[in-house]
Amino acid sequence: MTAISLDHVVHRYGDTVALRDLSLTVVEGEVFSLLGHNGAGKTTTVRIVNGLLAPASGSVRVFGQSPLTDGAAVRRRTAVLTESPTLDERLTARETLRAFAEMYDVRSADIGPRVESLLEEFGIADRGKDRVGGFSRGMKQRLSLARALVHDPDLLFLDEPTAGLDPSATQQLHQTVREMARGRGRTVVLCTHNLIEAQALSDRVAVLGGGELLALGTPAELAKRMSPRLEVSVEIDPTRHADAVTLVTSLDGLTVAAERAGVIRVGGIARDRVPDLASRIVGAGIPLFRLEPHEPSLTDAYFALQHGNQQKTRGPA
Amino acid sequence: MNRRIIAAIVRKDLRVVRRSRALMTPLIVLPVLLMIVFPTVFTFLPRMMGGAREAFAEMFRNLPDPVRRSFGEFTEATWIRVVHTQMLAPLMLLVPFMVANVIAADGFAGERERKTLEPLLYTPATDAELFVAKLLAAWIPAVMIAFGGAFIYAVIVNVTAWPVMQRVFFPDATWVVMILWMAPAFAALGLAGMLLVSLRVRGMQEATQLGGLFVLPVIALVVGEVRGAILLGPWKAIATGLLVWIIAGVLLLFGIRRFRRTTLVGKL
Repeated sequence: MTAISLDHVVHRYGDTVALRDLSLTVVEGEVFSLLGHNGAGKTTTVRIVNGLLAPASGSVRVFGQSPLTDGAAVRRRTAVLTESPTLDERLTARETLRAFAEMYDVRSADIGPRVESLLEEFGIADRGKDRVGGFSRGMKQRLSLARALVHDPDLLFLDEPTAGLDPSATQQLHQTVREMARGRGRTVVLCTHNLIEAQALSDRVAVLGGGELLALGTPAELAKRMSPRLEVSVEIDPTRHADAVTLVTSLDGLTVAAERAGVIRVGGIARDRVPDLASRIVGAGIPLFRLEPHEPSLTDAYFALQHGNQQKTRGPA
Repeated sequence: MNRRIIAAIVRKDLRVVRRSRALMTPLIVLPVLLMIVFPTVFTFLPRMMGGAREAFAEMFRNLPDPVRRSFGEFTEATWIRVVHTQMLAPLMLLVPFMVANVIAADGFAGERERKTLEPLLYTPATDAELFVAKLLAAWIPAVMIAFGGAFIYAVIVNVTAWPVMQRVFFPDATWVVMILWMAPAFAALGLAGMLLVSLRVRGMQEATQLGGLFVLPVIALVVGEVRGAILLGPWKAIATGLLVWIIAGVLLLFGIRRFRRTTLVGKL
């Protein structure tokens, strides 16, 4: 079932076009990443989906409802973790969670246990009575996430969720995202610059640039689509390094870069030519110790897409 | 309207205000000054400055005729009545106005400045619920402080003036109308003014500076009363209160039309 559906959505801030004809769907239970530079339209998309902004044209549905006309019903099922912790520093952690539980209309009887369980889960139970103003950035981010989860949302938006978190807190957040999506069938939309995080967590990603959808697919699909050729690390006998370089450069279309003595990196090779490369090295009498193909990453795909978009925006030279 | 959501926002806002020293200082100092210190000092003034009786008599004689006539000959009892029912009474209206003004500034502009408005916009609260919650969070404490302060004021005045008056003379009908009818109206005016200003500016400082301009009608009323230009009786007080309610209502109507998530989010 579809959690979010954007159909030809356009949004403008004055004369600036923030979203251009954006169409995409997010399926229930998936982790979906919105990738893009600052100003790409990620936050605008989140605000439109939650009914905070009205699109200039196009249609938006969230669980089949319109965020503009059924905003309260939509927001009852969603939660947003904003990029910077937007907590009231004069409230305690416990008061913060209680206040938002009431605002999300959580049943009175459930509020106490829910708040305590979240404080425990996010490691802030012993600071529950302390005002948020005294919390570290990491603690504030954890409390913000706990606040976002206080009504057990069906759809969670995380805007740069790990910015400023230490590795352990980052790992905990990743676990929470996985548990929400895989364990409980919730939908998670991740807005991030962190491509490694997006690759690790996402089922699908959308790359935005200048308010436009540049690409949509699984991280692996995008990587393959943008970089169909591989790079291969080849470890050979260091005394035969020069021979290996000469051999590879003689092969059509391949590039070679030395990583260190005895290791070369072969670029621009199609997947089906890798066995041939191995047999040629061995056939030339060069001892081959290791041959490791590097799959193209989401990072490669992202930069290729953004580069292509910049070229398109600038137009022909 | 979901009253539970509204109550949650009101409680949160009031808790936040209570924890702010910067906000609580004026909210405590002004009522204490106007509702405890002033009535005590002004009741005892002629006795404390015994030799200055003639000076106060002269001051009384200089009051406009209608005021003087309504109070009769100058005595210490006259002085007490003039001070409390004529000179200090309109000052009471500053309290609900200022309390509502300060809390509204924190609730609208302050919340935006602290970046705590955005999570509120993501809650299921409708625009109307948010609006009502923000209004109540400023209006309820303003009116409660005005009512509580007025009660304390009345007790202090009657107790301190007892040796002279020998009866409970305060509050009079005008003062009752002023507190029960005009004070809530001035609280509404204070928060309506601040709401309009807050929707246009980004920061709390800017909001308090501009929103403070709405105090001018109160000051005009105070000056008018002290100088005898406006002699409020119960009916005039009801009419003035009605006028303030209407102005506040019109300002609030302007405010509610602009109080939209889609507008507010543009200022984040």
